[in-house]
Amino acid sequence: MTKPLISVEALAKRYPKRGGGETTVFEDIWLPIHPGEFVCLIGHSGCGKTTILNVLAGLDRPTDGAVIVDGREISGPSLDRAVIFQGHSLLPWMTALENVAFAVSSRHPEWSREKVREHCRFYLNLVHLSGAEDKKPSELSGGMKQRVGIARALAIEPKMLLMDEPFSALDALTRGSLQDEVRRICTETRQTVFMITHDIDEAMLLADRIVLMTNGPQAKIAEVVENTLPPDRRPATMHKHPNYYPLRNHLLDFLVTRSKTFAQDIAGKPYDPRKVPVVRPVPAEALAAV
Amino acid sequence: MTASLTLRAGLLSLLIFAAFVGAWHVATLPTVGAAAGDVDPEYAALVSGAAAQGAKSAFPTPMDVAATIWGHLKDPFYVRGANDQGVGIQLAYSLGRVLLGYAIAAAVAIPLGFLIGMSPLLHRALDPFIQILKPISPLAWMPLALYTIKDSNISAIFVIFICSLWPMLINTAFGVASVRKEWLNVAATLEVGGLRKAFRVILPAAAPTIMTGMRISIGIAWLVIVAAEMLVGGTGIGYFVWNEWNNLSIGNIITAILLIGLVGMALDLALARAARLVAYVE
Amino acid sequence: MSVFQNPFDSRFRLTGGCSCGRHATEAEHAAETRDADERAARVVEGAVMRALFPHDATRRAFLTAVGAGTAAAAVSALFPLATATEVFAQGLKPEKTDLKVGFIPITCATPIIMAAPMGFYEKQGLKVDVVKTAGWAVIRDKAINKEYDAAHMLSPMPLAISMGAGSNPIPWSAPAIENVNGQAITLSVKHKDRRDPKSWKGMKFAVPFDYSMHNYLLRYYLAEHGIDPDTDVQIRAVPPPEMVANLRADNIDGFLAPDPVNQRAVYDGVGFIHMLSKEMWAGHPCCVFSASKQFVTETPGTYQALLKAIIEATAYAQKAENRKEIAAAIAPANYLNQPVTVVEQVLTGTYADGLGGVKKDPERIGFDPFPWESFGVWILTQMKRWGQIKGDVDYARIANEVFLATDAKRLMAEAGLTPPEATTKTFSVMGKPFDPSKPEEYVASFAIRRG
Repeated sequence: MTKPLISVEALAKRYPKRGGGETTVFEDIWLPIHPGEFVCLIGHSGCGKTTILNVLAGLDRPTDGAVIVDGREISGPSLDRAVIFQGHSLLPWMTALENVAFAVSSRHPEWSREKVREHCRFYLNLVHLSGAEDKKPSELSGGMKQRVGIARALAIEPKMLLMDEPFSALDALTRGSLQDEVRRICTETRQTVFMITHDIDEAMLLADRIVLMTNGPQAKIAEVVENTLPPDRRPATMHKHPNYYPLRNHLLDFLVTRSKTFAQDIAGKPYDPRKVPVVRPVPAEALAAV
Repeated sequence: MTASLTLRAGLLSLLIFAAFVGAWHVATLPTVGAAAGDVDPEYAALVSGAAAQGAKSAFPTPMDVAATIWGHLKDPFYVRGANDQGVGIQLAYSLGRVLLGYAIAAAVAIPLGFLIGMSPLLHRALDPFIQILKPISPLAWMPLALYTIKDSNISAIFVIFICSLWPMLINTAFGVASVRKEWLNVAATLEVGGLRKAFRVILPAAAPTIMTGMRISIGIAWLVIVAAEMLVGGTGIGYFVWNEWNNLSIGNIITAILLIGLVGMALDLALARAARLVAYVE
Repeated sequence: MSVFQNPFDSRFRLTGGCSCGRHATEAEHAAETRDADERAARVVEGAVMRALFPHDATRRAFLTAVGAGTAAAAVSALFPLATATEVFAQGLKPEKTDLKVGFIPITCATPIIMAAPMGFYEKQGLKVDVVKTAGWAVIRDKAINKEYDAAHMLSPMPLAISMGAGSNPIPWSAPAIENVNGQAITLSVKHKDRRDPKSWKGMKFAVPFDYSMHNYLLRYYLAEHGIDPDTDVQIRAVPPPEMVANLRADNIDGFLAPDPVNQRAVYDGVGFIHMLSKEMWAGHPCCVFSASKQFVTETPGTYQALLKAIIEATAYAQKAENRKEIAAAIAPANYLNQPVTVVEQVLTGTYADGLGGVKKDPERIGFDPFPWESFGVWILTQMKRWGQIKGDVDYARIANEVFLATDAKRLMAEAGLTPPEATTKTFSVMGKPFDPSKPEEYVASFAIRRG
């Protein structure tokens, strides 16, 4: 196995409780992410998904544990880990191009103005925003704003992309087409991505591996599910694949029941947070055929 | 549709103005005094026309005031000695004081407000002072300023400074403190440091709030300069009002009032324009 | 015709409406041909003489005993201030020629104002800007802050500055009184038929300043008629420019104010002149020309030139035939900002009384530069009477400091002379004599007083 690009080790987050004691949001989170991999973290609200992403981004600090990149613990945000935020987070006083250029010139302060603009145009074109470069965010639709956010993250050519429910604020149609594009771009560029979501279909479409988190407090990683759908899956057609329902049912089952009962399920059984079970849901007949 | 609304609004404005002037005209029609016709001509020569008729001198008519205004507008820049200068020169003195005091206030308030907005510690530490100093009437500073600064002109500028300071300071601090966390996160993930973050992210984000403070400040400054100049005298439109009050010259005072209103409006419009330049829609 | 009283003349009459000096027959004998420099020198000598012998009766006794010439010689030999005369005689060059002198736009300031348009400052090689000022507190602060080199003040103000009332104590000098008389009680026209002060209970009056002759004279006048100024009526301090507007708006029933405010009320048909202040106390002081002691000592040449200009202007203003010309010079917007006829009526004393009559009183306002020490004592007695100052008051010492007088008795004793007894009254107010040597008794003699 290749050396992980980034490795989450023994991560925990605790808050002091009112009246003494502590609340543990999550603990003992271990998760290696390999280059070119698209990892999705799925779980209910309150399990600390966003906190984990923020720790990866360097915007938040864990109570325990560390995030290791290149053998060293990260100490803060870095241009190597670009973030696509839940809201679009564009700076509203800048045009689309200026928003991207602000990021690019942060990455390459030595670049000339023209070179920066050229670079920005390329990425805006990649997300199909040619022609909207000089518009302010307020003049763009929700989907277009999120595209600018994606272009901004891609334009700095990060080693890793962190996405925090990037499509949750969009309507279903826009979301579908944007997810499709993101999948295309990430596959083409072999971009390493860590994304959090609570949308099962989104995870099935985008992720290579889906990490399941139990409910908080004291949330844990329950298991890792490998995506059994083919790499050329599309939103419009993937539900016709025989692996679709087994995978979906497994995930749904986890989110509806097992995420709550996980703590009792493993009581008395061995549980190694460093080596959680890896599951590959396939139809029952396929299993029988083996 | 819009044009016709503008037109109708304009017509209504004109109508209100005409009604006002008409009422004024009627109210100031000359009245015949009780003692009319029975006045010692020697006495009549020593008092005003109305007083000779046994009445009090009247409020000027709209025509009198129009003539006075025209007289001032015709020759706004005359100088007839230190205490008698054209209304244009007086306005220029007032504007000069206001702009200087205001500029100094902005130069202090914006950087200081920035620090206060960025640092919860400074905010807590300075808050009691700001809360106590803010509600003080600017003119209450005048005796203290005269006593310590020992120069009435600088004191007037100081009073403008102190009254323009608070809205700008408070708005800047508030604007900076309430810059959205996600914009700061964007800057952080892009490894944007210190000054670049201040000028490219925080300042533009807080600019509309700062401009609101600046607009409030210029309004207060212009209100205060007139009062300050009435108090200190010498030059300026406030002094002009005081000097004409001395002479009970209502026509001149009305001229000054109109000019003060117009200049105040122009200052407000100028800042409203500037505010539009830095405004953004989220 | 002599303009000022000659204090070296022992025959000079003490009583009567002669503080302006023009009616003292002895004074009229004084040489008319004296030129301006000589007059200035005599003014200084006169001031020193008065400082040494603040009480006229004492001075007269001294002068009769030794003779005027001997007295002058003795005084100049003994008294350090005599160097002031030399300063004038030597004709020092002004160290500083661009000056600012502050004034309040009232006719009391006539000499200070007119000296600018009529060239009296220029004649002394000075370029003086006379600057109109909004109020007494402001003129005090600007003078203290050295924005003004010299200023027009109410006579109690140099005293207050020297004592440190309302500011740090700063040695201040009042080298010249500007005007005598020139104030009046004006009532709203609606009180035409209430001329008896006994019927004034419940009225509201305005005066320009709490520490002003106006306040003291109005209180004195009311009290003499059995009206307690603190309980029977209201007295408020109102800036002169606001007085006519307030009278017109019925906020006040009357005021004791400096001119041209009184005449302006008549001109606008708002009020009538009930009584001129000279009818209460002929020759009372009102305003002074003042400068800091620092200005006097650091720039003696400028001080000399400035005082010379003021004294000459004052002398010019005192002459009845010049009054119309002066009125025309000081009425424009740059100075008093009043209709010429209003100023002219004040200065010539031929005026409309507001009741349809024309009165003639050429002494309505007079100009006489001598700072009488007994004036200061009288002012202090009234401050004490109305509770503005409390406890024991060293009347003589404070009055001395204000009016540049020195301890005459000490100096005379050092010179081996026997200090004469000062006993006689120098003037009377509303018929009641005032003895400056017995201020406490004077205060106690009033039925209506505070504390």
